[in-house]
Amino acid sequence: MTLLRVEGVSIQFGGVQAIQDLDFVINPGTIHSIIGPNGAGKTTLLNMITGIYAPSTGAIYLDDVPITGRRPHDLARLGLARTFQNLQIMRTMTALDNVMVGRHLHLNRNLLSCLLRLPSVTRGDRQARKRCVELMESVGLGGYIDAEAGAMPYGALKRLEIARALAAEPKLLLLDEPAAGLNATETKEIDEVIVKVARSGVTVVLVEHDMKLVMGISDHILVLDYGRKLAEGTPEAVRANPAVVAAYLGAVG
Amino acid sequence: MAHNVRPSGYSKFAKKQTYTRRMGTKKNRAQMLLSERGGGLSLLILVILVLPLFLANNYHYDVVVNIGINAIVVVGLNLLIGHAGQISLGHAGFFGLGAYVSAVLTARYGVHGLVALPVGALGVGILAYAIARPVLRLSGHYLAMATLGVGLIIHIVISREAWLTGGPDGMYVPPLEVMGVAVYGGPVWYWIVAGALILAVWLSLNVIDSPVGRALRGLNGSEVAAQAAGVDTTRYKVMVFVLSAVMAAVAGSLAAHFSEFVSPTKASFLQSILFVTMVVLGGMASTFGAVLGAVMLTLLPQVLADFADYEQVILGLIMMAVMIALPKGLVPTLTALVKRWVRRAGS
Ligand SMILES: Nc1ncnc2c1ncn2[C@@H]1O[C@H](COP(=O)(O)OP(=O)(O)OP(=O)(O)O)[C@@H](O)[C@H]1O
Ligand SMILES: [Mg+2]
Repeated sequence: MTLLRVEGVSIQFGGVQAIQDLDFVINPGTIHSIIGPNGAGKTTLLNMITGIYAPSTGAIYLDDVPITGRRPHDLARLGLARTFQNLQIMRTMTALDNVMVGRHLHLNRNLLSCLLRLPSVTRGDRQARKRCVELMESVGLGGYIDAEAGAMPYGALKRLEIARALAAEPKLLLLDEPAAGLNATETKEIDEVIVKVARSGVTVVLVEHDMKLVMGISDHILVLDYGRKLAEGTPEAVRANPAVVAAYLGAVG
Repeated sequence: MAHNVRPSGYSKFAKKQTYTRRMGTKKNRAQMLLSERGGGLSLLILVILVLPLFLANNYHYDVVVNIGINAIVVVGLNLLIGHAGQISLGHAGFFGLGAYVSAVLTARYGVHGLVALPVGALGVGILAYAIARPVLRLSGHYLAMATLGVGLIIHIVISREAWLTGGPDGMYVPPLEVMGVAVYGGPVWYWIVAGALILAVWLSLNVIDSPVGRALRGLNGSEVAAQAAGVDTTRYKVMVFVLSAVMAAVAGSLAAHFSEFVSPTKASFLQSILFVTMVVLGGMASTFGAVLGAVMLTLLPQVLADFADYEQVILGLIMMAVMIALPKGLVPTLTALVKRWVRRAGS
């Protein structure tokens, strides 16, 4: 069974055909990478899967249930979580509170219960806080628990986004360039985090430019170019594909 | 063809990042006292208990009760503005509506004051919901315009429908009756409003430190990220808008019975602006800042009354000076100062 199925999906912005008639599937328990040159449509694809944009044609299925056009918060409920290429951090909140927002759906968020601070609210918050601290430690943010997010360095914010997404306990985690702008050591750490997440049973969709990272950890790679599928397969198959080499990998060396 | 395979923002962040040390999660007693829930609420209750010792006459009580009533509105408005990052330029309309529902129902239809108050709150809640639902999908400017419009309409209706509301002259409101006894006079109202304010502050602190409060700050910080985390952002904006409108309506009802009189100025645009200014002056997202903002802006016109014509000008200048010197507002700036001082003394 497939976890996510994308069928004939297209979207355009004005005259730009950002994604054109794209088909692919994602199997559960895998690390599925999406690569392609700048402007290939990777982020746009993630935005369609997570409900930020609705595709103009085509359909998307999660667990064989059509999710095309559903709103982002609905999709979160169905088990999608993501990070953002251009950081989307709640800067005036603490790092821990950012992660706690990620836990939203698991908490008692009934207004009356919260107004009266019923025990179920405080109990839930206490357990969530514990879990969120663990998650932060697992992505290497143990030193930033109470830090104000806005004061944290870029590399730490990249991980904070991952911790916030993981706090939702998603079944499908979509990462949009988690290693962008990181140095080699930091990239290596992110690499380990992703592998650890995948091992814990979460299916990972990874959009990334760092070829070493992608080739090293992916089970499956989808190559986009100008909004179309250029190639698809295992890292070895993709690396050997002449079209990919010509259009994309060749440029890297 | 050489594709640029690095993200466009790369170079900006290429410089080496250094990680700061763990900030410490254990709170010491001094920090506890500085927290809103720990020290703040106790301090508020202490001030409320001690204050009557300094109140010498009816005028004093009048000012202090009005401070309390405004503070209830501002504590609610702070949830909307300070936490959720939404604006309302029409909250005096909700305040006025609460006041007039109580006034009209009790004076003209003989409804009991303790029934009229929740009826006003409920009515305003429904109205606020009907307004917020379509408008809050849009961004801040539209909300400002829409709430401005609603406030103006409420003000106009109250001023025009003289047969019901007494028009610009206002109308008399019978005193509140509790168990057959009429409640009037500064000292009694002092404790009623004090109780209501403590309740409002407590509820506000509860919401702030809950999944709902984090969702509100979260959608303020990044709407898409909050949505991706499962927060139905429109729903939460509507929720906090309605909550703050209901708090304003309740405060309005209390004001009507306390003054035993209502007039349309309470629902005016200027009053809405004053409420927003109280939030900003005291400090965004600070509950006690909201209270302090209400204290300052209710008190200042009284103090400046001697300057007559120049009252508004001086008020404006003071506000500008505070905002330039303390852009985060009074309470957040001051607590940050004290915290720094405590940390230095502690180390
Ligand atoms: N909201 C939008 N409005 C207009 N055009 C858009 C929008 N979002 C994306 N595009 C366009 O769609 C195309 C694909 O953009 P997208 O951001 O998906 O590329 P990408 O593969 O993520 O690139 P990068 O590697 O630089 O992140 C680009 O031409 C981009 O300009
Ligand atoms: Mg992108």
